[in-house]
Amino acid sequence: MFSSEEIIRTLEMLKNENLDVRTVTLGISLRDCVSANADDLCQKIRKKIKCYAQELVPTCEQIAKKYGIPIVNKRLAVTPIAAVAESLSEREYIEVAQTLDRVAGEVGVNFIGGYSALVQKGFTKGDRFLINTIPEVLASTERVCASVNVASTRAGINMDAVLLMGQAIKETSRRTADRDGFGCAKLVVFANMPEDNPFMAGAYLGYGEPEGVINVGVSGPGVVKKELERALQSPKKLTLGDLSEIIKKTSFRVTRVGELIAREVAQALKVEFGIVDLSLAPSPTVGDSVGEILQCLGLTSIGVPGSTAALALLNDAVKKGGAFASSSVGGLSGAFIPVSEDLNLSQAVKQGYLSLEKLEALTAVCSVGLDMIAIPGKVDAETIAAILADEMAIGVINHKTTAVRVIPVPGKDVGDKAIFGGLFGEAYIVNVPHANCSSPFVRFGGRIPAPITSIKN
Amino acid sequence: MEEGIVISVIGRDRPGIVANVSRVLYLNNCNIGELTQTAIKGQFAMILIATPLQKEMISGLKEDLQNLAADLDLNINLRVVRKTELTPFASAETEPFVLTVRGEDKPGLVYGITEVLAEHGINITNLDAQTAQIGEKVEYIQFYEVDIPQNLDYRMIQEKLRRRGEEMGVIVDLQHKNIFQAINRV
Repeated sequence: MFSSEEIIRTLEMLKNENLDVRTVTLGISLRDCVSANADDLCQKIRKKIKCYAQELVPTCEQIAKKYGIPIVNKRLAVTPIAAVAESLSEREYIEVAQTLDRVAGEVGVNFIGGYSALVQKGFTKGDRFLINTIPEVLASTERVCASVNVASTRAGINMDAVLLMGQAIKETSRRTADRDGFGCAKLVVFANMPEDNPFMAGAYLGYGEPEGVINVGVSGPGVVKKELERALQSPKKLTLGDLSEIIKKTSFRVTRVGELIAREVAQALKVEFGIVDLSLAPSPTVGDSVGEILQCLGLTSIGVPGSTAALALLNDAVKKGGAFASSSVGGLSGAFIPVSEDLNLSQAVKQGYLSLEKLEALTAVCSVGLDMIAIPGKVDAETIAAILADEMAIGVINHKTTAVRVIPVPGKDVGDKAIFGGLFGEAYIVNVPHANCSSPFVRFGGRIPAPITSIKN
Repeated sequence: MEEGIVISVIGRDRPGIVANVSRVLYLNNCNIGELTQTAIKGQFAMILIATPLQKEMISGLKEDLQNLAADLDLNINLRVVRKTELTPFASAETEPFVLTVRGEDKPGLVYGITEVLAEHGINITNLDAQTAQIGEKVEYIQFYEVDIPQNLDYRMIQEKLRRRGEEMGVIVDLQHKNIFQAINRV
């Protein structure tokens, strides 16, 4: 029998603290679909996805109902299409993307990740075709997400790829100008991209992953914030060490719930259970914000001095609690700071607390990077590439994943607001100071070599 | 046929009750298998299952227990059961849930809830009712562990219990036991 305290705490988490599972992502290998014929490839992809994913959404709904815990997103991640479609022509890549889009819709998921390439050390023919087609794919499909790994601690930074991605972001924005450049919200540029990340837009199924696998993202910042608020209401004087302990325990609990649900979904679908991603992923609702957690920790707003330290504390405590709760931790695992998806962050930009430079500093201690940041539409591709290079360098040198998902918003500038809708939220445009000052640097091309710390064997 | 004995003991709580009962069983060649004991507000209650090593000892045991009950002012009851009766109640396949009832204490609360459970063939495996401090309030809380047959719609049961709770002015929650296990146990 459980103690009354245990039962009541659990009920509070379920009823009043918005405990949920952020995403259940089914990874499906498409390696056995490879074909030199586009129609044949698309047919095989369609058959494979249907076979594995047909029951994903109903199964998730059934298990969510059984436990009374919502599963917010149901998604798919597939083998990088650059590898699967390597033998096709550039135009045929579009057909493959459209097949992915259609079949994702048919099985009822909201996104499919894996329109991806890994080019940290160099390009194959297929990698180039994939990158070239990203703008058209993101403009002409609804559910397909693209990601490109341009750097790693082992390989360094492929600056040719960085420039190409700067141009791809710019072009994607142009092609989706009527939606405030929304196509860019489905495109991530990575350093040290994890193979088992369940979160979009960066999810794909790595080469070392099994045939089918369930990866899961745990509940968001709302639960942590409520626990902190409750502790801070007690008359006891708490130190930051005490608060870190509270975050750790909360992370333990939400991870346990995530793993329970993931294992059950995996078992029902007869695929392997992969990992639990411990990331605190905010949503554009009040009370579900990483920024609000930092305010609980005594900062006026995210972005003020102390923010990096507070975020480091949060990120570390979440990892420690989660790692104790599950021995299958993976993905990105840390606090996300996606500006448009976190209402509080978006406000912090508007109020002038949060700048691009501070966001970059925060990414040195959080799990991902410059995420869902709306920038003026006039910023040129080379400047975007230079921002990418800076962020990649943080990941490469610090042996961590970093990523960039910036959205140049056509026709809008600092002070304006970009509206993406739904989980993508809305964001005030962030100033990009000193644009047009980096072009010669990024145009050198070649590769920034791997750091000395990469030689570890 | 192989037999077992079930003994229940109720009385004013004090040191020595378990020692006295188990001594009588030992002297009558009985082996205690399972036992559970609790005390609420100074009232002692125990149920145990024992196996007599020699069947003919049972009548002597009964007499000894009656004498002990008289000496210590306890209610002791002995029931001989077939071994086949010593298995948990099994309906069809079930799922374990935790049912919580919170609110002001009043007559008929337990009946109100258990009536719904009984109507649907839901077995209670554990039940505990107590007053507890919740924030600044003292609340009356009942915790039930129940097995819900898999062929029943949990949502329907949840809704019926919630409505019954509303009628009685208490909050009723029904959640799968695995969630409590996952969140609270290392």
